[in-house]
Amino acid sequence: MVDQPLRSESERGRAVAGNEAARQWLLLLSVFVIATCGLIYELIAGTLASYLLGDSVTQFSTIIGTYLFAMGVGSWLSNKLDGNLLRWFVRIEILVGLVGGFSAPLLFVLFEYVVSFRLVLYTLVSMTGVLVGLEIPLLMRILEHRVAFRDLVSRVFTFDYIGALLASLIFPLVLVPMLGLVRTSLLFGLLNVGVAVWLLLRFPETRPFRTGLLTAAGMAAMLLLAGFVGAERIMSFAEAATYQSSVIYSKSTPYQRIVLTRNARDLRLFLNGNLQFSSADEYRYHEALVHPAMQANPTARRVLVLGGGDGLAVRELLRYPQIDSIQLVDLDPGMTRLFQENTLLTSLNKRSLLSPKVQVINDDAYGWVRSDTAHYDVVIVDFPDPSNYSIGKLYSTAFYRELARRLAPGGVVVVQSTSPFLARRSFWCVVHTMQAEGFQTLPYHAYVPSFGEWGFVLASLTDTPRPRTRNVPAGLRFIDANSLRRLRDFPPDMADIPTELNKLNNQALVQYFEEDWADAGQ
Amino acid sequence: MNRRRFIQTTALGLTAFTVPPLVPGCTTAGGSDSGTLSTGQNWSNVPGNLLGPNAKAGHWLRQTLAPATAVEPDIYDVVIVGGGISGLSARRWLWQKGVRNTLMLELETQPGGNSGSGKNDVSAFPWGAHYLPVPDARHAELIDFLRETGTITGCTANGTPIYNDYHLCHDPEERLFLDGRWQDGLIPNEGIPDADHQQITRFLALIETLKKAKGADGRDAFAIPLDRSSTDPAYRLLDTITMTEWLDQQGFTSTYLRWYVAYSCKDDYGTTPNQTSAWAGLHYFASRKGVGVDANGATLTSAVLTWPEGNGFLMNQLRQQADSPIRSQTIAYAIDLADPSAVRVSVNNVPTGKQTVIRARKVLLAVPQFVANRLLTTADPTRTATGFHYAPWVVVNLTVNALPQTAGKTLCWDNVLYGTESVGYVSANHQHLTDSPQRVLTIYRPLTGNDPAEVRRRAYHTTREEWLHQTMTELETAHPGLSAHIQQADVWVWGHGMISPTPGFIWGEARQKARQPVQARVYFAHSDLSGISIFEEAFSQGIRAVNAMLTGGGIAT
Repeated sequence: MVDQPLRSESERGRAVAGNEAARQWLLLLSVFVIATCGLIYELIAGTLASYLLGDSVTQFSTIIGTYLFAMGVGSWLSNKLDGNLLRWFVRIEILVGLVGGFSAPLLFVLFEYVVSFRLVLYTLVSMTGVLVGLEIPLLMRILEHRVAFRDLVSRVFTFDYIGALLASLIFPLVLVPMLGLVRTSLLFGLLNVGVAVWLLLRFPETRPFRTGLLTAAGMAAMLLLAGFVGAERIMSFAEAATYQSSVIYSKSTPYQRIVLTRNARDLRLFLNGNLQFSSADEYRYHEALVHPAMQANPTARRVLVLGGGDGLAVRELLRYPQIDSIQLVDLDPGMTRLFQENTLLTSLNKRSLLSPKVQVINDDAYGWVRSDTAHYDVVIVDFPDPSNYSIGKLYSTAFYRELARRLAPGGVVVVQSTSPFLARRSFWCVVHTMQAEGFQTLPYHAYVPSFGEWGFVLASLTDTPRPRTRNVPAGLRFIDANSLRRLRDFPPDMADIPTELNKLNNQALVQYFEEDWADAGQ
Repeated sequence: MNRRRFIQTTALGLTAFTVPPLVPGCTTAGGSDSGTLSTGQNWSNVPGNLLGPNAKAGHWLRQTLAPATAVEPDIYDVVIVGGGISGLSARRWLWQKGVRNTLMLELETQPGGNSGSGKNDVSAFPWGAHYLPVPDARHAELIDFLRETGTITGCTANGTPIYNDYHLCHDPEERLFLDGRWQDGLIPNEGIPDADHQQITRFLALIETLKKAKGADGRDAFAIPLDRSSTDPAYRLLDTITMTEWLDQQGFTSTYLRWYVAYSCKDDYGTTPNQTSAWAGLHYFASRKGVGVDANGATLTSAVLTWPEGNGFLMNQLRQQADSPIRSQTIAYAIDLADPSAVRVSVNNVPTGKQTVIRARKVLLAVPQFVANRLLTTADPTRTATGFHYAPWVVVNLTVNALPQTAGKTLCWDNVLYGTESVGYVSANHQHLTDSPQRVLTIYRPLTGNDPAEVRRRAYHTTREEWLHQTMTELETAHPGLSAHIQQADVWVWGHGMISPTPGFIWGEARQKARQPVQARVYFAHSDLSGISIFEEAFSQGIRAVNAMLTGGGIAT
């Protein structure tokens, strides 16, 4: 069983023959541990990639492939290592512990902050793979003169595969549910470092380099432990930065911060952190915004859109071939350019902002409406909610007075006017404010799952608008002949209530909106 | 509620008359130790200028001046000296009365006086007066003027003026920074003891009574124009005591209330309650009886009218309502009444340095009295300016690319910091219809002190960097980090910012004597003749002087 004694200066080592057998078993036990750790790192990387990037088949497949290949590179590199092999092995254990152990927290945190997350992911997976690939060949070389080759191969691989089995079972059943990815990753990092420490203490021949490596291992263990204790913080930090989906675009323009996110279900646009639409249900909002107005003035040729730089309202307008021209006034060129150029977004708005009928004007809507002299058959007003005093001015009697001057005879205007359920007073304040400026109003609402119950005010200066119920364009998914009647019905919990008018010199709406949402938040 | 007022009439920039050896504008910026704030801000690196009334003209006036000899051929019906609000108001009134052969002389490149304004890429902004309270509907001339400016758009069936939404101050109007937090309104409210609340309530109730009070003669106790106030001694005797004495008499001891009253005196007159006539101090609160409705018919209470450029808007409207010539950069320096056929005004053209004589049938001096007396040294050596004191002011316009906020009420039009030297700042962008992170903040700072002449002298020796250091030390408490966001910082020093209504001045003799015409040929119009420096008074003084002139005869209308 023993071909040759260990080349040790220790006389006590040679004295006890039984010790040698114990050491070999200990080395084999460490094979078991490092095998478990190796597979765990691989599983963590695959799970994390699937979680953050979606498409688990692709992620697992590419991660496993990369990892195995990197292990191959590691095995090949083991050939280049000479000198004290035990020393190399201990060093590598500490490194695997650090790199593998911190892989999950690193990937979580960096996800929000790096340009190319995939580059970081595969670099980390490759590094771990290379280091893990070095372990087994190195260990076999350490044992090669102590154990017969056939026994060596048999034992090492037996422990290796048992470790793998254990890892693959405890990872989904015990570790992820109980510890989570970050703590699992750090725990196995600690195990790797533990193996290094244990080898250093058990093998007298490590004495010349023991102190240095023990210090290194101690520091690595402390780092990993600190991470383990602070894992909650790391996770909350990482998740606070994440919109639960992946951010595929973010940009700060002089006017606002534009963020686009995507997950398996939908694409979302946030302006200053407020959801503007979800691709899963935006058709409900935009069909409800545009078609009642168009049906109320079916011969409309000239249309004005205020706000709505995403081009989604314009997409609905372009279903009416009789429209000759659409003026779209949106403050932010960053926004309209994005929805003219980004292919993901132009496929959503059907390239509406590139239509020859559409003229995009990047200007402040209030000033533009005040100085404009043209008249419009339909005006679509799609401003952000009145959450501050400067937006509140765009919902004032003074603004609606200006708007009234822009309407052609028989012209209609529709205003997005917040939620009549969540912000009931705000909604009716908009209705009353428009009425005070001589508008005959037709309030209505639609259910948009990502927003909730949402309100609109259709209005005209001559008569209460009467949208036709036949002849809605083909291909609509939400508005049909019957829906218009349904949308006009306000159940008691959303019914009209008295409010003040919103004026520049009282800004009643901003107060209502703030209070309504504070109440809704509770 | 009670609003800031500021000087609306011109001081014509002739501060140099009383300011040897250094005149404003001569000081050079930079090089001061206090130009560095503790935050490490070096103010001389921040773009901007130290501005003020015309310095070149000031220098020129300090030499010995002989009357000019070159006589210009034209003879005007009226020459108006001074292009502030009272002068522009007189020019408009003459034009409306059909007297159109007039000439206005203005020292600066543009008329406007303390209603001057500036403009940059971010906003227009005031250099002085910046608002007008909705006026008493009985002030017919002013109501007519506001109709011409489009500020009043019509009348209700019962004759109440309807005000333009764009000219009425937008919501939110005012806030106070107290104990680390912005609260709504300017009267200390949140977190102050009950005893103080009770005194404030009692004070406000008393003001309500005074607003409605009428004297034995049936006139309002406190009116605008103030010459329409009651002659009843029950009220006029208030002019003989100081505001501090009045507060003591009434048992108003609350620190918060007394701060608020002191703030109001400083804000309106540039004086402390110790220096202010109690009649004037109360007039600030009790004279605002504006009546009007907004475009939707809602009654306006204590509303004010304001514009990004402040009263520069009203000034330009006044100016545009007459077509008679204005000769700018021209200093009148002597008036000669020896020629019975025409008053001779010696003038100096600042750019060319040439002196000429301009002849007129009548001359209207729309300048402060210390300037008027200088012009009349030979013609009427008996005139004095005893009792006329003027408060110096500093106005800072900061262009910022962000405004770091502290807790509480959001940015308002008028923003006041409790317990500071300044009387706060207005956001010039407030009346804009679109928000922008870039703003212009106009900070007002009256320079109070026991000896205004000494304070003025010190002010002329203060560098822009020192003014900015003082201003930002205060502002940083409410806007930490603001210094780093300043893109431009201009400072304007008004040596004779506004007339001070010191005790005895409003209802004493000096005011009445100073407005008496000289030989029915030289007339006077300036807000210092009212004793308080507000737009309404300057506007009325111009009209009063013209009416007196036309009654005096000699001009065909």
